[in-house]
Amino acid sequence: MTFLEGVKKSFETKGMRLLLLLVSLGIVATLLRMFKGLGAVTNLTDEYPWGLWVAVDVFSGVALAAGGFTITAAVYIFNMKKYKPITRPAILTAFIGYSIVVVGLAIDIGKPFSAWHPMVYWNYRSVMFEVVMCITLYTTVLLFEFAPAFLERVKWHGALKVIKKITYPLVIAGIVLSFLHQSSLGGFYLIAPAKLNHLWWTPNLPYMFYLSAIAAGLAMVAFEGIVSTRGLKRESETEIVQGLGRGTRIALLVYLIAKIADMSYRGNWPLLLDWNKASFFWSAEILIGVLIPIALFSMKSVKESENGQLMASTLVIIGVVFNRFNMTFFTQAGSGTFYFPSIWEIFVTLGLLSAIVMFYRLAVMHLPVFHEGPLNR
Amino acid sequence: MTTITQPPQKAVLVDLTRCIGCRSCQVACKSWNERSVKKTVNQGVYTNPPKLNSDTYTRIEFLEGASGQAPAWHFIKDQCMHCDDPACVSACPVGAFKKLPNGPVNYDYDKCIGCRYCMIACPFQVPKYEWEKRIFPWVRKCTFCSDRQADNLTPACIKICPTKTMFFGNKEEVLAEAKKRLAEHPGKYVNYVYGEKEAGGTSWMYIAAVPFEQLGFNMNIPAKKLPENTWAMLREIPFKVVGFVTALSLIAVFRNRGSNPDAESTHKEEN
Amino acid sequence: MKWILKAQERGAKLIVVDPRFTQTATKADVYASMRSGTDIPFLGGMIKYILDNNLIFKEYVIKYTNASFLVNPDYKGPGELDGLFSGYDEKTRKYDKKTWSFQMDENGVPKKDPSLKDPHCVYQLMKKHYSRYTLDKVSGITGTPKDKLEEVYKLYASTGKPNKAGTELYAMGWTQHTVGTQNIRAMCIIQLLLGNMGIAGGGINALRGEGNVQGSTDHGLLFHILPGYLATPTASIATLPAYIEKYTPKTKEPKSVNWWSNRGKYITSYLKAIYGSRATKENDFGYAWMPKLDEGMNASWLMIFDQMFKGKFEGFFAWGQNPACSGANSNKTRQALAKLKWMVNVNLYDNETGSFWKGPGMNPKDIQTEVFLLPCASSVEKEGSLSNSGRWVQWRYKAIEPIGQSKPDAEIANELYFRVKSLYQKEGGKFPAPILNITWNYGEKDAQGKIHEINVHNIAKEINGYYLEDVYDKTATPPKLLGKKGELCASFVYLQADGTTSSGCWIYSQSYTQKEGKIINMMARRGKDDPTGLGLFSGWAWAWPVNRRIIYNRASVDPNGNPWDPKRALLKWDPVKEDPASKKPGTWVGDIPDGPAPPMATEKGKLPFIMMATGVGHLFGPGMAEGPFPEHYEALECPLEENMLSKQRINPTIKIFGDEAGAVFSCDMRYPLVATTYRVSEHWQTGVMTRHEPWLLEMQPQMFVEMSEELAKEKNIKNGEKVMVKSGRGELWAIAIVTTRFKPFKIGNSTVHQVGLPWHFGWQYPVDGSGGDSANLLTPTVGDANTMIPESKAFMVNVVKITGGRT
Repeated sequence: MTFLEGVKKSFETKGMRLLLLLVSLGIVATLLRMFKGLGAVTNLTDEYPWGLWVAVDVFSGVALAAGGFTITAAVYIFNMKKYKPITRPAILTAFIGYSIVVVGLAIDIGKPFSAWHPMVYWNYRSVMFEVVMCITLYTTVLLFEFAPAFLERVKWHGALKVIKKITYPLVIAGIVLSFLHQSSLGGFYLIAPAKLNHLWWTPNLPYMFYLSAIAAGLAMVAFEGIVSTRGLKRESETEIVQGLGRGTRIALLVYLIAKIADMSYRGNWPLLLDWNKASFFWSAEILIGVLIPIALFSMKSVKESENGQLMASTLVIIGVVFNRFNMTFFTQAGSGTFYFPSIWEIFVTLGLLSAIVMFYRLAVMHLPVFHEGPLNR
Repeated sequence: MTTITQPPQKAVLVDLTRCIGCRSCQVACKSWNERSVKKTVNQGVYTNPPKLNSDTYTRIEFLEGASGQAPAWHFIKDQCMHCDDPACVSACPVGAFKKLPNGPVNYDYDKCIGCRYCMIACPFQVPKYEWEKRIFPWVRKCTFCSDRQADNLTPACIKICPTKTMFFGNKEEVLAEAKKRLAEHPGKYVNYVYGEKEAGGTSWMYIAAVPFEQLGFNMNIPAKKLPENTWAMLREIPFKVVGFVTALSLIAVFRNRGSNPDAESTHKEEN
Repeated sequence: MKWILKAQERGAKLIVVDPRFTQTATKADVYASMRSGTDIPFLGGMIKYILDNNLIFKEYVIKYTNASFLVNPDYKGPGELDGLFSGYDEKTRKYDKKTWSFQMDENGVPKKDPSLKDPHCVYQLMKKHYSRYTLDKVSGITGTPKDKLEEVYKLYASTGKPNKAGTELYAMGWTQHTVGTQNIRAMCIIQLLLGNMGIAGGGINALRGEGNVQGSTDHGLLFHILPGYLATPTASIATLPAYIEKYTPKTKEPKSVNWWSNRGKYITSYLKAIYGSRATKENDFGYAWMPKLDEGMNASWLMIFDQMFKGKFEGFFAWGQNPACSGANSNKTRQALAKLKWMVNVNLYDNETGSFWKGPGMNPKDIQTEVFLLPCASSVEKEGSLSNSGRWVQWRYKAIEPIGQSKPDAEIANELYFRVKSLYQKEGGKFPAPILNITWNYGEKDAQGKIHEINVHNIAKEINGYYLEDVYDKTATPPKLLGKKGELCASFVYLQADGTTSSGCWIYSQSYTQKEGKIINMMARRGKDDPTGLGLFSGWAWAWPVNRRIIYNRASVDPNGNPWDPKRALLKWDPVKEDPASKKPGTWVGDIPDGPAPPMATEKGKLPFIMMATGVGHLFGPGMAEGPFPEHYEALECPLEENMLSKQRINPTIKIFGDEAGAVFSCDMRYPLVATTYRVSEHWQTGVMTRHEPWLLEMQPQMFVEMSEELAKEKNIKNGEKVMVKSGRGELWAIAIVTTRFKPFKIGNSTVHQVGLPWHFGWQYPVDGSGGDSANLLTPTVGDANTMIPESKAFMVNVVKITGGRT
């Protein structure tokens, strides 16, 4: 069958149909947002200018797409050949993830049709400017890093050869760009020491974000590795998963130590005793996203169980999303008002997340993601 | 070549002991800036609208005296502080906010993309958004009447105030006036000029008869200029890039010596 | 407020007395709270304090007031008659004032005791009267703590020194009571005792609710006066000479100027202005065409609506007003409007009055009133003058053309005049002369004599007045020419009683005048010089009378013409300088003196209070309806069963509207709270203009009621909650503002709560009714004994939660 027929066939499963529905709902919500404006469609207010879309679609999305640079670093820089097979899935996750982040950003900003402005109007003192530039460049890098899978499918060997030649520069560029913007996402909140509770705020926020992004990326690669293996009925990549688990654990430990050191140095522990929303949410975040996963990843039973690895990775992902969510909301919480996303905001976010899963599945089903060379189906 | 002398930075001293809560400033501002209104209800105070918004660049907050105490009523004027080193100016990715040499922090709608980072960055919660607009939504805030100042006119709120609550002049003389009033009438004022140090200094400064915490001012704004926090990170980027690229290259070379990952990739893979 | 703050910068002290801690109070050096309706005890206590502590400005009091006059020994005061003065008739609720008179000497001049010791002298009677206003009593009635009273008294009484000045500002909080005029009287007494009348920085200063209300009374818009405060004639005064005889005060005091003795010149000049050449000596200058009041007729606002309520009116012009919200007892007013056959609503907007028939509780099907809306222009859409409380008449210009079909009031009146005149000419009528005979020279006339466009300058000139012939001063030899025929009068000094001059309002004569042939609109002047440094600005606009900025300023100098306070020299007699009029040495410098006469101590000298027949300020004031000394009576609706000072609980001379609509509820368990009304900066009057202004409505969107925290706690009312406010006459919802600025009053042995409401709202706009309705739904139909101004500042209400709960 042709490529398109193949794609159509992919939607014959219930799962894909559900994803398509959610994506469609997301498109409807997006169109509503475009035609009626942010005020009519979202629950964003002057007190909460950044809501679900920024916290999840942008901040969390970028963190979870960190698999791209972590795995390419492992494979290409550190020559950990074991992880070669998951290079393409990781890059795919990252590429789709970042593309969706860009779409999410375009939906969230007040003037989507001015989205190109940062390319022309530069304010190099702005963290947002740096992040936008980095993300733009990195998405391009990811495009090139993923291109081989597509090029192999369409058999454009000439272009393939060219790209293969610049693999290392691309990888290095990708790792550097990732470092810059993953940490800059933390840099966003540097500007608000008076607003963000100091359980989170520190001048070292960029480094905190970077370390947690590494953990998040590795956990995300493990997560979708396990899930897609099961979903596509392929054999488990146990060793890889275990390796990822070990890596995640190390990354979490480094993060935890850094966090403890930072909190101690800045004398912020008393803030935990405030018994307010911030201290509870912070504690929950560390517990769910750092302490429990570290414990789990250290347990033999978990290490040897794919379910265990899945659960531990899931907790890390939840923890990182929780962390990004907390920072976004607690920077704005000083106003004392309440924000909860509207149904349209939820539809857009669900749509974007579903789009990630949907495109991932389409890609792995129709492009040589899991195997290099011609497709064996 | 002629040397262009920068105009002196203008500032305002808001002497809260003079305000009578007449709200002429709130109306004069709306008149000059052609703002509209939002539907309001009386929430048990004279203050309305309850917060600054995209149609209200300045407003008076009416604060009742503490419960059980002798009667008191405080009137606090709220508007953009026009910081010396504004967080919004540094935060905006496209430079839509600019600090003019003579003081006002101005907004250029044409550049804005509506990312609202300025609203996150501002420690005084000043910039407001036109959520209800479908196309062309602006970020709105006090302009310090930069257009009036460009014509050598006094900002509208300052001009209209019947009790001369606001003292307008060059920053040095405004600060000096503040100190003078504190020194000459120690019993009348709390010995503090709000805005002298906050966020590294602002153009709009306040003196008052009661402690600023009681009037709802945010006392937790650090004296360090807020953009310095982000600039500390950003300015290291060139070094980080160079360092990282170097390090990664070296590691890659080191780790990959004796192996050809590209050649291997065309063979069947090991698991 | 900026001038008050400026004065404080120079060391002045601000005292604020108000039931509520107001915005002004935040700037006060001393704030004293006081239950609404207890101003006379408060001020009476101050009078006692001043007298007890010998703080009067002695020379001023002896020489310039009637303190030394001996009163008729049959006079008795409330101390002896338990709340009444001598001469009260219970049936008519009026006083026979025979005993409120002075003992006369053989020359017909009141007997005096300059030592102030005679038991019948005004000073001693006053002392006796106010001896009852002890600190304990005053504190018990007003609810003001004793120490606060003393603080206020001490501070204010310190202005009794020659080099100190104290001034007083008041508004409706004093006037809108059944004892309103006596409230003002009490302060006048204090100011006279302290020597604060007629000096710079002194006086009694009425703050206005409307920018031109001074102008409205100056030009006779009230029923009982003609322009220039001439009395409206009653039907029983059949001829002009009889009118002049009745209203021209006479005095035998040689040093009294008694300026009202010129009454005849002013009424005659007025008639000449109105009826022009048709007014002749033979026809009494048209006096017979003047509208007259029935004997004893009271045509005040409350009476008009009472009669309208009883169906006695066919038609009504609501001209630039909103009675459905502004008049006391709105329900009665609104129902009264329903009894009309027609109504003309002249206003910028439709309002609760014009649309009364579709208001809450109205059934349009049952109402037969035909309503016309004539849109009129606002003050910025027309040219003309405004008169402020300082009597400055300031000319203003048109900023924009009237929008749409709206017309300035003068144009509307003009149209009405020509149509009514034409109807009289065609159809005749009961009495066409008053309409057909008036002059109407307010613009260019077409061939048919109709004016299409009013020229306000013509009106201003008519008000100023003209010399209709060459006018001579016949007392001089040879007779001196005062004014040429056809020229504008130089001032009222030159007005004549023989019909050779005209003036539409004698006090405004000089406002639009002619000097050496050149016509000058004095009201349009904008000179900023202030040579005395006292803020007179005599070259800015023009003040009546004759640009005198502070009236009774002869009281600012001693009998030799030297200012009491050389540092604030309002007037000074310079014996050497040449007088520009007489060309002889000796003239006054400073403000325009109250008459050019030399200082009182000299042979030709005069007393300072030139409008009083006696020439002095009246501590003992026999002209008032309820007594020559202010005496405390409770408001008609009050929380007390008894007046703590006497057996007379209420003002014995007020009109009681005995019908159901005039019912009052005192000491009624259903209405236990004292209520008062006031304003906010954001709205104006009944809010017709300001509710339509979005910027203003946004700031003050809804009717509210302010109450103390203690009261709110008792009633379980939370700040911001919608509550119902009820009185015996009506009810309305309001948003509760719970505040420390109201505190419960300790009155006698009980706690009395007070609440306050603004009166700016009306059901008609915003159209969804979200603004609320008028506070006047609550106020009673009762007025001051002298002026009939409604008692909107002290009445009884209740406040209840809307969601049920205990009342």
